[in-house]
Amino acid sequence: MLSTQASNGRTRPLVANRVLLTLVIAAAIAAALLSFVAMAPNRLVSGESINLIVALRPWQWIILILLALLLASCALTRPFSSPSSHYLTLIAAPLWLILVLYGLGDYANRALQEASPSARVSQGAAFWILVFCPTLMILDAFQRLQTNLGLRGLYTLILVAVVAALFVTGHLDGLAIMHEYANNRDQFADEFIAHLRLVASALGPALVIGLPLGLLAHRRAGTRGALFGVLNFFQTIPSIALFALLVAPLAALSEALPLLRELGIKGIGATPAIIALVMYALLPIVRNTYAGFDGVAATTLEAARGMGMTSAQILWRVEIPLALPVILAGLRIVTVQAIGLTVVAALIGAGGLGAFIFQGLGQYAIDLVLLGAIPTIALAVVADFLLQILVALSRPPGAR
Amino acid sequence: MIELQGLTKTYAGKDVVKDVSLRIESGEFGVLIGPSGCGKSTTLRMINRLIPLTQGRIFLGEEDVTELPAEQLRRRIGYAIQSTGLFPHWTVAENIAVVPGLLKWDKSRTSQRVDELLNLFHLDAGEFRDKYPHQLSGGQAQRVGVARALAADPEVLLMDEPFGAVDPLTRDVLQNEMLRVHQQTGKTIVFVTHDMDEALKLASRIAILNAGRLVQYDRPIELLTQPADDFVRSFIGKADLGLKLLSRRWVHQYQQPARVLEHPASFDNDAASAAYGWEVDAQGRALCLHGGRLHADENEQRTQVTHEWTATPDMTMKEALSRMVWFRVMVLPVLDDKERLVGEVAMQGVMGHEPSKQQALGQE
Repeated sequence: MLSTQASNGRTRPLVANRVLLTLVIAAAIAAALLSFVAMAPNRLVSGESINLIVALRPWQWIILILLALLLASCALTRPFSSPSSHYLTLIAAPLWLILVLYGLGDYANRALQEASPSARVSQGAAFWILVFCPTLMILDAFQRLQTNLGLRGLYTLILVAVVAALFVTGHLDGLAIMHEYANNRDQFADEFIAHLRLVASALGPALVIGLPLGLLAHRRAGTRGALFGVLNFFQTIPSIALFALLVAPLAALSEALPLLRELGIKGIGATPAIIALVMYALLPIVRNTYAGFDGVAATTLEAARGMGMTSAQILWRVEIPLALPVILAGLRIVTVQAIGLTVVAALIGAGGLGAFIFQGLGQYAIDLVLLGAIPTIALAVVADFLLQILVALSRPPGAR
Repeated sequence: MIELQGLTKTYAGKDVVKDVSLRIESGEFGVLIGPSGCGKSTTLRMINRLIPLTQGRIFLGEEDVTELPAEQLRRRIGYAIQSTGLFPHWTVAENIAVVPGLLKWDKSRTSQRVDELLNLFHLDAGEFRDKYPHQLSGGQAQRVGVARALAADPEVLLMDEPFGAVDPLTRDVLQNEMLRVHQQTGKTIVFVTHDMDEALKLASRIAILNAGRLVQYDRPIELLTQPADDFVRSFIGKADLGLKLLSRRWVHQYQQPARVLEHPASFDNDAASAAYGWEVDAQGRALCLHGGRLHADENEQRTQVTHEWTATPDMTMKEALSRMVWFRVMVLPVLDDKERLVGEVAMQGVMGHEPSKQQALGQE
């Protein structure tokens, strides 16, 4: 609605950035039609839907509309031209994002003052779309500007710091998800650390096994077929099935060998989870290691040999540095994948953030599910971002 | 000096290189040439044992290096290849410093050597030291590749079709530069190519291989005038044999005293259409040519001497002839480095005058 006004206002709607325009329109439609927040008398019943205009104070939604108009005009060829319209997007979109978050917290605090202590304020569909759209706008603007990674990192850091400040200052404490957090504060810290520990203890062995296997696949063509066949097979087993399949044999092993039992290796818990995560992580690591070594030009290797480098010198000084960006790209895939898969590991008693999700699903408490899901997503995004920087740094200088 | 004795390579029962023996003396520019699959590259790569040899011995100077550990041997032999093989993750300076690094030279010596080599190839050290290979043009990368091969002052330099992948113009420049570097360093070079013109331009000795065997190993002029068999004759190419021969002959071999006109004003071009003479200034510089045009009825009877149609004593006769044809003159002035007229070289001379064999070979 907002954007149609904008484009009708300018008689020649020469659209410069369709992505941006689509996002603004989508956000506007969502804000108009879907609920922004839901107000419920307690955590188990679904709440009453409340629209954006009602939930936010007038100054908040007026600014939101103005920001939407500004962003819509950025999507057109006039009045702003190419680079300045993207910079403007990079200013307006995060303001929108923060304002939506601020407004949500503001509403929750106001609404709860008059309601019973068990009343809950949850985010509605419109809220998610209104957060999602500006995020995509920012990514799109960066894509079009082709800014360097350092600048992108700094921008992201500032944005994350502002959002984190909203949480830390307690502005969002009125939300149901924050209530769940407050109720499970100690458990949350434990599960968060358990989640990280599971991911880390799977990635370590996966690297130790996967890197040499990747090198082997590169050096001995004959091993490739069998190796990738087995690893591909692991990858096709559904994760829940693999976790479950490991329980019985591990329980039997632990039963038979007291030594293993003393080490804490049991049929349920962390052991089967880590084994399964390693099995899933192997294929991307081996494949990327192989591809990385395979990508080193044959002439480079011939020159290295011709100048009298030993095989070890060629490996450490030439092959590994040149293969590293591809290997780290594999690690990036695997890390994000493991963070996600670890959620499922909660089913076999390994703990981690998945515990909240399954607990919440069992109790029909959607906010408890979100307490597990949102940090998992955030963790994956942060890990992805950090490893992306690492990949860029590992590229040969000058080729960055 | 490098000597190969009975070098043989057998793959799956088939001799790829069979009993190749040749000796390249210190400071010589040896070229291995032949059709593809003739074993020239294999021979070269057996020298630094990138390909292990089946049979034979290799001597570097007086030393038998056949049993030397391959890595040690390679550090004593420079190696440059077609696609340069520069390490993309290292700067130009780091690339050149590879072998000195393997030989554990100290930092200041290595750094000095890098600058020295960049200067040798007319690359400004300040500008190029810290560049990465992908920032170089093809010609620059190839120069760095050769500089890297020369870094540790090797006894022998092996080059495997180093100029095969650059454009013809750059190739010509690189060839000239290689000749200059060869002259300045006096290195023994073993160079593989499939381009006969390149071989004739660079080589002091050419080894022609066919089907794994050494067919003829001779100086270029002997290869052209006394081919060992029909294969060599056809490989050299019959069509422009005369021009190829002239590419190994030099203006000073054909040069004659210049006909300087005492009284240019009274030059009578009607006397004989073939008559001509040079007008020179007080410093002995050639000003113009009277007569001497390809056709008697050419309008201009007086032709200004310009740089494009002069010759120098070290120019090949092929180029001199080419200039005569292009500028439609019967005769070129031969100038010394101060642009003074020291002689002339004429069309009739190319046709009629055969330099004595001794004289022609003396240049080799």
